[in-house]
Amino acid sequence: MSSTKGITESITAALIGNPNVGKTEIFNRLTGLSQRVGNFPGVTVEKKAGKFTHQGRVVDVVDLPGTYSLTAKALDELVARDFIVEEKPDVVVDIVDGTSLERNLYLTFLLMELDANLVVALNRWDMVKARKIDVDLDRLSELLGAPIVTTVATTGEGMAELKSAIIKASQLERKQKAALDYGDEVEAGIKSISSIINEKRDLFGKYPQRWLAIKLIERDERVLDMAKSILSGPQMTRIAEVIGHE
Amino acid sequence: MSEFAEDLSVILAQKRYERISEIMGLAVKKEGESVRTYTDMLDRVFLNRYLGIPIFLTFLWVMFQFSFTVSEPFVVLIEKTFEILGSFVEQSIADPYLVSFVSTGIIGGLGSVLVFVPPIFALFLALSILEDSGYMARAAFVMDRFMYRLGLHGRSFIPLMIGFGCNVPAIMAARSMDSEKDRMITILVSPLMSCSARLPVYVLIAGAVFGSAHAGTAIFFIYALGIVLVILVAQLLRKTLFKGEQSPFVLELPTYAMPKAGSALLHMWMRGKMFLKKAGTIIFGAAILVWFLSVHPWEATAGGQLIAESYIAWMGHALEPLFKPFGWDWMTAVALLFGIVAKEVVVGTYGVLLGVDEGTLGESLVANGMFTPLTGFAFMAFVLVYVPCFAVLATIVRETNSFRWPAFVLVFQVALAFLVSGVIIVLGRLMGMS
Amino acid sequence: MNSGGSVCGGSLPLAFLPEGARATVSDIQGGKGMAGHLADMGFVPSARIMVLKSCPPGAMLVRVKDARIALGRGMAMKILVNDIEEL
Repeated sequence: MSSTKGITESITAALIGNPNVGKTEIFNRLTGLSQRVGNFPGVTVEKKAGKFTHQGRVVDVVDLPGTYSLTAKALDELVARDFIVEEKPDVVVDIVDGTSLERNLYLTFLLMELDANLVVALNRWDMVKARKIDVDLDRLSELLGAPIVTTVATTGEGMAELKSAIIKASQLERKQKAALDYGDEVEAGIKSISSIINEKRDLFGKYPQRWLAIKLIERDERVLDMAKSILSGPQMTRIAEVIGHE
Repeated sequence: MSEFAEDLSVILAQKRYERISEIMGLAVKKEGESVRTYTDMLDRVFLNRYLGIPIFLTFLWVMFQFSFTVSEPFVVLIEKTFEILGSFVEQSIADPYLVSFVSTGIIGGLGSVLVFVPPIFALFLALSILEDSGYMARAAFVMDRFMYRLGLHGRSFIPLMIGFGCNVPAIMAARSMDSEKDRMITILVSPLMSCSARLPVYVLIAGAVFGSAHAGTAIFFIYALGIVLVILVAQLLRKTLFKGEQSPFVLELPTYAMPKAGSALLHMWMRGKMFLKKAGTIIFGAAILVWFLSVHPWEATAGGQLIAESYIAWMGHALEPLFKPFGWDWMTAVALLFGIVAKEVVVGTYGVLLGVDEGTLGESLVANGMFTPLTGFAFMAFVLVYVPCFAVLATIVRETNSFRWPAFVLVFQVALAFLVSGVIIVLGRLMGMS
Repeated sequence: MNSGGSVCGGSLPLAFLPEGARATVSDIQGGKGMAGHLADMGFVPSARIMVLKSCPPGAMLVRVKDARIALGRGMAMKILVNDIEEL
């Protein structure tokens, strides 16, 4: 699933992160006065978009709603999720609050499962250092499987590096990320469901297979509806057996 | 694998967090467990069981004070500018019709409204600062105790606060609520929050009938009345149309951050822009319409001098019977009518009808004997409740995807307005006031 | 490091904890997706939490996973904790 961009094509980058991590500030610094406000198609969720030019490339930036998760239960989570899967931005910038890493990385994992091409912006870097939190950036980047850029949105530190990282990430071949092991029982379930999904693989389009299986196990409404409309009765019954209901 | 879905979601979440802990252990080293941060220290004060609410009320008061004092110089500037514009026009244009149009219609009507843009922007700025600093979430937390008892959802606190500035962004902010029922209640109740557009009317009337000594108190009572109504209507809605359990209150309290001037101003601008568009388009259109109806038929009104002979006077007289019991006359009826377009227009309409500019409007009202303290106060209450402005109605249409709810709000609020004003008048008369 | 609180494997609703108490999440009850949402925010079994503020019948403020989360009383009743350490 690689996409290397020709030098004249514009790059799309989506910004996402927990609420209150400084995402708006970073979006403002990246796009400045080029930002426009609108709505995501068909819903009352605000969409901000803008652009920046760096190293001769034009990058279109979309600000996704700040969320904690990507379930089907909240409209803005759904909107963010749909954007990432349907519009397939070249790069997804996950803005993480360095002083609250533990919870912030949760969304990072969900994004990895969605096969997003991640660049992690570790914001509030100044506070991380002030609190003497020692982050081994190389190690963290390796463990997450994504490049990390430290930023201080309030001063603008790290913005140039972030822009470069975004451009660089859009040019790299995407590697298959190491998947999170959910334990034997769950993994067995994922395997069974995946094989069922595989029977009608093309109809599921852009959605990553493993992600679909995980969502079915979580009984995500949206994915369930999608599966019901694609799979046959017997196939759905087999899935129901695995996920224990229906 | 036959566990329930809830357990599965939780288990998957657990596994993710376990992996995160692992990663944190390998790559992140923290000194000491939970370092006492300035956020914790500030919260000890702001969330204090006894100090929390007084502190919040103080911030609220400071916010309003700030809005008015900071905007003072700008208001004076605008007043002066329009004065100069007005006399320039009068001197340089020969055609009396055109002079009337530009001077009274455009400058008079619009100017008396633009004069209130600075305090509104200042209010939005104050709100942005409170939000960006992280304090708003604390206020919501502290007020949750009461909000819950009053039938309101803790989460609706912030949208309602925004309603003090303008009901339009307040209604849009209701999107942050998880439960549709709570969101609808918040939307339906927001128009009762005294938005800043009503303030010009309050200031005008209160200033005229209560004098500068007591005007502030009168306005305070109107705001309080608004809040009381919000509570009562919310409870009513919760017991009738939107029965059901309240949705859970989960809110993260972010670390305190020094609000950045740039962001706060941008935030203020984004919200203020919405308001400006209203002033620019709807109110301007309304001001012209009011002018037009007040100077036509041109001959009858002797070139706009005898307003009492104009179309607008005719309309006012037609409506007068409705308002006679409240002690209001036809000019008030007309002002209210145009206030449906946008509440600020009520002031502009008086400006056009009385043929005076904003500065002396208050005196004119008193001189003409149009209001007594009782009828004035009842009028302020009526303006508070009677109808949300066009912009708000349009927003409700958009946010609820139907015309049903705006229609309901319209009818309900008009009825409520008559009821509330009626009660005030009756109580006042019983106490011997006129 | 265990004082009171855990009664042979039994758990207590978070709502009953006093300010300053620490505990470990053992279970989350509740339907309508609330359990999932709370879990996403960090209230997963085996997560260590601390009560920062408790204002009955109003909300509770709890520290979990480096964040401060305000919870309505109803929510706090649905989160079960054990291994409680009181101040």
